[in-house]
Amino acid sequence: MQDIWGKVQLAEGEIHYFEVGDLHLWCTYSDQEVWLASAYSSELPDNISEEHPPDEVSWSRWATRNNANKIEIQPVFPDLSLVVNSEYALKVSPDTQIEIFARIPIWIRISIAENDYQLTELPTVLLSRTWFGTFTEGELCYYATTKARRTLAGIDKKPYLVSCPITISNKSATVLDFEDFCFRVERLGMYKYEEELWADETKIIFHGEESNSDVIMTGKLPQGIKSEQAVATPRKKIQKSLATRTFKRLIEDTFTLS
Amino acid sequence: MFDLEQYISEEMLHTIFSVAVIIVVCLPILFIVRGWAKRFFTKKYTPHYGMLASKLVFYSGLIVVVVTVMGQLGISLAPLLGAAGIVGVALGFASQTSVSNIISGLFLIAEQPFKVDDIITINTTTGIVMSIDVLSVKLRTFDNKFVRIPNEMIIKTEVTNLTRFPIRRFDAKVSVAYKENIGRVRELLLEVARNNEYSLSEPEPQIIFDAFGSSSINLDFRIWAPADDWLLVKNTIQEEVKAKFDEEGIEIPFPHVSFYTGSDSTALPVEVLTKTKDQNPGDD
Repeated sequence: MQDIWGKVQLAEGEIHYFEVGDLHLWCTYSDQEVWLASAYSSELPDNISEEHPPDEVSWSRWATRNNANKIEIQPVFPDLSLVVNSEYALKVSPDTQIEIFARIPIWIRISIAENDYQLTELPTVLLSRTWFGTFTEGELCYYATTKARRTLAGIDKKPYLVSCPITISNKSATVLDFEDFCFRVERLGMYKYEEELWADETKIIFHGEESNSDVIMTGKLPQGIKSEQAVATPRKKIQKSLATRTFKRLIEDTFTLS
Repeated sequence: MFDLEQYISEEMLHTIFSVAVIIVVCLPILFIVRGWAKRFFTKKYTPHYGMLASKLVFYSGLIVVVVTVMGQLGISLAPLLGAAGIVGVALGFASQTSVSNIISGLFLIAEQPFKVDDIITINTTTGIVMSIDVLSVKLRTFDNKFVRIPNEMIIKTEVTNLTRFPIRRFDAKVSVAYKENIGRVRELLLEVARNNEYSLSEPEPQIIFDAFGSSSINLDFRIWAPADDWLLVKNTIQEEVKAKFDEEGIEIPFPHVSFYTGSDSTALPVEVLTKTKDQNPGDD
């Protein structure tokens, strides 16, 4: 696995090439500017050169303070919540708690190492967007192509996916039909452990279909991971918990009528 | 000899000076506070509330300044208010339209069918709401025209707010030839929707069999998008459908008439004959 996280010293005219997920990235330093070019596999021919981007990919150029030529590449969570489907439809009976794992495609953040000035953020996989909510209110999310699983045993490691442990607790008197849910990632940190990326735990407490669920960022790290292994801080200030709609989308098929 | 002191007493000079000071000091402060209120509420809430706050501050402040100036001039408010009733009736008759617009403006602010920065359609005019004022609503159309619509007219007319709700549907009319497999067309259209960067996965895109047309099967291709991206979906998805159909050999028919020649869907056989050199004139 290619490890791209960390600081990269760009030399004049020398091109650094990185490939993460579907993203291809070229970086260089020229004319006292940082040059970045990126493209996705679907936009590129089969054989691409690591030495220089194809003609159809254009460079973005930044003039930096003090002509800084060292950049930092960090993994970050996507900038929106994600709608994650369960591997299979699961019914969670009342007073039951389950643990699941969602694997989320990461974004990469490129910043100037000297002053932490953010140049750009790029998704490693292009995700389509979806609406979570009703026709009159809700939130824009990404549609995760990965599934939420009960276990990660036997699953291939992917450098562009961060594994997120989630505990779902059904505190209602009714069955929770767990098929998909809105996973809010903006307050999660990211940790590197044995060449894999992990997030701290999220706990979701279901109180019934007509009530908001409590989403609690417990800050609990998966076994074996220590806080020193953090590679990315949360996008938003850590909030202990929030009450929000997580399971039921409320969009019904009435819109087929007209 | 002209004696100024005969006409202007010391007391009057004092009054004029006081009034001038009030106007010179208060009006700039009023404008500054109005600007601050507009910026503060726009930043904290929305441009709509910024506009409302600025108007509230300005007109309240203006009334205070006018009352203060009148006090300085020794004009009592009580008889004025009494006279205002009579004058109001007279003015009301004289300026029914303006008063109606003012009242309509108050209703618009209270009812909030739209806010500043919303995109609305009134009659045949579509534009972005720039401001909701005492007498009228100002719009900027997409071809950059300034349109002033009296409040009274808006109250009486159907208004469509295109950005009130967060998501909107775009309905593309797609026609394909009768020979095409509808299942295959449906798959291709869903693929186009999936690959369009502005369309939403949920609510799911839909393909509705609309009608057996005279020359084609007509389908309704319905795609949802965030309200802000609706125009982008409209501008991209139809082009993408055409490109996909061309790539996959799906025929988009133009209006035509087929002569039935005895077997299903077979066109009238036509043979093109070319005239050879040794053909005699008059030979057909």
